[in-house]
Amino acid sequence: MRIDKRRYYHLDWYLIINGLLIFGIGLLNLVSATSSFSSGSYNFMIKQLIAFAMGLVLIVIVMYYDYRVIANHSRWIYLGGIFLVVLVLVIGLAAGGAKRWISIFGFSIQPSELMKPILVIFLANMLYEKKRQNTPLSLKDIAKPLLWTLIPFVLIVKQPDLGTGIVIILVCFAILWYIGLKKSTYAVLFGVGAISPFIAWHYLMKPYQKMRVLSFINIDADPAGFGYHAKQAIIAVGSGRFLGKGFMAGTQHKLQFIPEHHTDFIFTVFSEEWGFIGSVVLFALFISFINRCLKIAMNAHDELGAIIAFGIASIIYVQFTINVMMAIHLAPVVGIPLPFISYGGSSLLSMLVSVGLLLNISTRRYMF
Amino acid sequence: MKEENLSSKYKWCTLVLVITMTVLLIRLWDLQIMRGAEMRKLSEQNRIRVKKIVAPRGIIYDRIGKVLADTRPSFNIYLTPEDIHDFSQTVDGLARLIACDREEIIEKMKAASGMPPSFPIKIKSDIPMDEVARVEAHRVYIPGISIQIEPKRNYPYAASFAHVIGYVSEVSDEELKDKKKYKDYSPGDYIGKYGLERAYENDLRGVDGEKRVEVDAIGREVRTLDVIDPIPGNSLHLNLDLELQLSADKALETRKGAAVALNPKTGGVLVLASRPGFDPNLFASGISKTDWQKIALDKLHPLQNRAIQGGYPPGSTFKILLALRALDLGIINERTTFSCGGGFAYGNRVFKCWKKGGHGSVSVHRAIVESCDVFFYNVGLRLGVDRIHDFGNTLGLGRVTGIDLPNEQKGLLPSTEWKKRRYNQPWYEGETVSVAIGQGAVWLTPIQLAMLSSFVAGDGKNYKPQIVNRIVSTEGKVIKTFEPIVNADLKLKPGVLTIVKDGMRGVVNEPGGTAGASKVQSVLMSGKTGTAQAGSDKVKLGDHAWFIAYAPSDDASVAMAILVEHGLHGSSAAAPIAKGITETLFKVKTVIKEAKVNENR
Repeated sequence: MRIDKRRYYHLDWYLIINGLLIFGIGLLNLVSATSSFSSGSYNFMIKQLIAFAMGLVLIVIVMYYDYRVIANHSRWIYLGGIFLVVLVLVIGLAAGGAKRWISIFGFSIQPSELMKPILVIFLANMLYEKKRQNTPLSLKDIAKPLLWTLIPFVLIVKQPDLGTGIVIILVCFAILWYIGLKKSTYAVLFGVGAISPFIAWHYLMKPYQKMRVLSFINIDADPAGFGYHAKQAIIAVGSGRFLGKGFMAGTQHKLQFIPEHHTDFIFTVFSEEWGFIGSVVLFALFISFINRCLKIAMNAHDELGAIIAFGIASIIYVQFTINVMMAIHLAPVVGIPLPFISYGGSSLLSMLVSVGLLLNISTRRYMF
Repeated sequence: MKEENLSSKYKWCTLVLVITMTVLLIRLWDLQIMRGAEMRKLSEQNRIRVKKIVAPRGIIYDRIGKVLADTRPSFNIYLTPEDIHDFSQTVDGLARLIACDREEIIEKMKAASGMPPSFPIKIKSDIPMDEVARVEAHRVYIPGISIQIEPKRNYPYAASFAHVIGYVSEVSDEELKDKKKYKDYSPGDYIGKYGLERAYENDLRGVDGEKRVEVDAIGREVRTLDVIDPIPGNSLHLNLDLELQLSADKALETRKGAAVALNPKTGGVLVLASRPGFDPNLFASGISKTDWQKIALDKLHPLQNRAIQGGYPPGSTFKILLALRALDLGIINERTTFSCGGGFAYGNRVFKCWKKGGHGSVSVHRAIVESCDVFFYNVGLRLGVDRIHDFGNTLGLGRVTGIDLPNEQKGLLPSTEWKKRRYNQPWYEGETVSVAIGQGAVWLTPIQLAMLSSFVAGDGKNYKPQIVNRIVSTEGKVIKTFEPIVNADLKLKPGVLTIVKDGMRGVVNEPGGTAGASKVQSVLMSGKTGTAQAGSDKVKLGDHAWFIAYAPSDDASVAMAILVEHGLHGSSAAAPIAKGITETLFKVKTVIKEAKVNENR
């Protein structure tokens, strides 16, 4: 394997250090979040570190091949992803009423997480030509990408994993916006966007999902039930006050008042222990990371790289924003992990593959 | 063109990031800075539960310190809604573990719906040990469940004191709605519902303590932070006498009726028994629906305290009241005689004497001893109903005596004014004839007749009946002593009481006396029988048997009134009960007396 030395000079150390800082904070936070579990935090930390190590290997692999080569094969990668998602529905492992995992060689992986970067590459490959021509997309133009997004969306929502479904549909729209839409396309999309909540409410949403929305609107409607998580979460965040309760000193999660506090609700643990100050620092790191992604998109060598980098930026942005808003009761409860911070191997692997793609694009920005 | 387009997209992105950051930071500022203190408090409360430590209820003693009601530990099951993760898992799981319906559990939870979700709801009291073990073993699978050891009311003599001591039961939803009166109570608390338990609720209850504990999300105590000890309720020392009460209750056990015994020198209630009764222990451990219906729907009304709530025509015992008043007013004297031919014609009706052949010429003494009706028909007419009413009222008849029990009934002592008010009709003299022998519109309670007996025994003085003698704190400090309260203190004409008392002594001790069979060996007892017609002219029921008495005859220390519903004859049904009480009371004293007599020899 011959690696071009020049690429190391162009490695985006800003992105790497920024990512490592977020991951480091996440690891530290995970120790506290899982300390009250009977198995202890050690187990969780080791598993997270194994996933991280595997992710580093994936970064190297992803970086080795030019992203254009990868994009050329995106059809097959996409089909592979869809195959895994279908497999989940057939032989998936159930946990908490949802089938989201499949077991491969003793590792349980969550294909819907991997579907996010796969879809970004796939859509980018499909659309970069249009971007290059700089022609705004007509309704006809967006039909194909929407269809290819709806297939995994439906399959994932069926698991049910509404959170990931929402992420991929939003990322799809972000990419379409980035490429540029005709005014008429905007008009139609807004029209559909306006009526889709009603259709979703009446035909698509399950009763427990509706309850989540209702208890989001009125948190006290069912304080012992669906409003419970939301209420306990804002109590955790609020009780952190300015400086926080201190590392390992959070009480809300330790006494198990917040469910999923090591995965989807992990921000509450961080905010309770590190307070307003800590949260501001974490937000700044995320914004800076996303900003860096956008920079990579801007400076990318070609439209393909720009779209992939932008798509990844939008994944991280959507997940970060919705996850935090859910924890502080600005959004209903949906299962979306906080990138790099939430416990979960698949989510971390998916993020690291994305970082690999970003580094791939940024190191090849001067290549012709 | 391309660069321009890209940088415009980039500007949009920057704008979105700035807006996002602003929104998130404003919200965080609101939660962590503006409402931080409040949220911190909420998180502390989340962690810290205040658990109530129920104060043991005050003990109730008889007059020599024997325990009539105390507390014993009981295992109670609580459910904390906030700690429930899966409603049906917890409720169904619990219903399977203890003998309790799912519906019952839900009903209890509904009753406490006004309380915060962290408030533990009592589901079942006094569960047996095997259920305790089962629940403890499965606790992890039924989050929200806890078992608390709490004091439970215990009545060792069960039904024998049911009506006087009463019972405690869980405070009802209706009571809790009255926020003012029951502001210190929360669902699951015990409250005195009946008898002394109700009348002295504030003294007996004590002050519940608190324990602050740190809990986890399924409500398990992680550690105790601090404890405020409960203050046990004050104990009551009664005037009641355990042995006397048991003797009276045993005699009444198979019948319906009541027995009251007062100390004529103080008004202290020595006996207050009523049958049929019920087991107050059933209420204290949360009475089941079937048990409650059995008691509430029983046609014999076991929940009625006949001693203070049952109104009965007093029959011939009423003659004592007439004799006292007529002698005092000089309407009759010791030598006044009336001729009894077995009947008394008044208007167009003949009022019969109970003795068919008549008593011949009778004076007041023989009229009391042999209970001649005709004599008192005459006396009654000469007195008139209003003078009977006023005098009876003074002694405590036809009005509440003021005994320290809730829901005492007034009874009825008629007067012309009453008839006018009630029926808007004048009083007919013929009605006085019936009233004179305690029939007609007269309805009195056993406690009221005990007041009459006490008035004679106390030589023209009687006291308000009082069951409680003193209230004592757990440290032994006397908080309140109930001094005797004079009810009536009349200066009767000299000799009047002697005449009546001689008569009443004769009832028991003279040949021909109506209660001759109940003569007590050890001590001289005086009394008066009564046999009152029950029911109406249409429905004939067995007559009520009355006996009022006091002993010893010269210097009485007990005055009684016994009623046996449909007991037929005062002499055969009621008087032996008074005899039993007297014998029990003077048993010990006799032994001492005999010993002293032997010493003197």
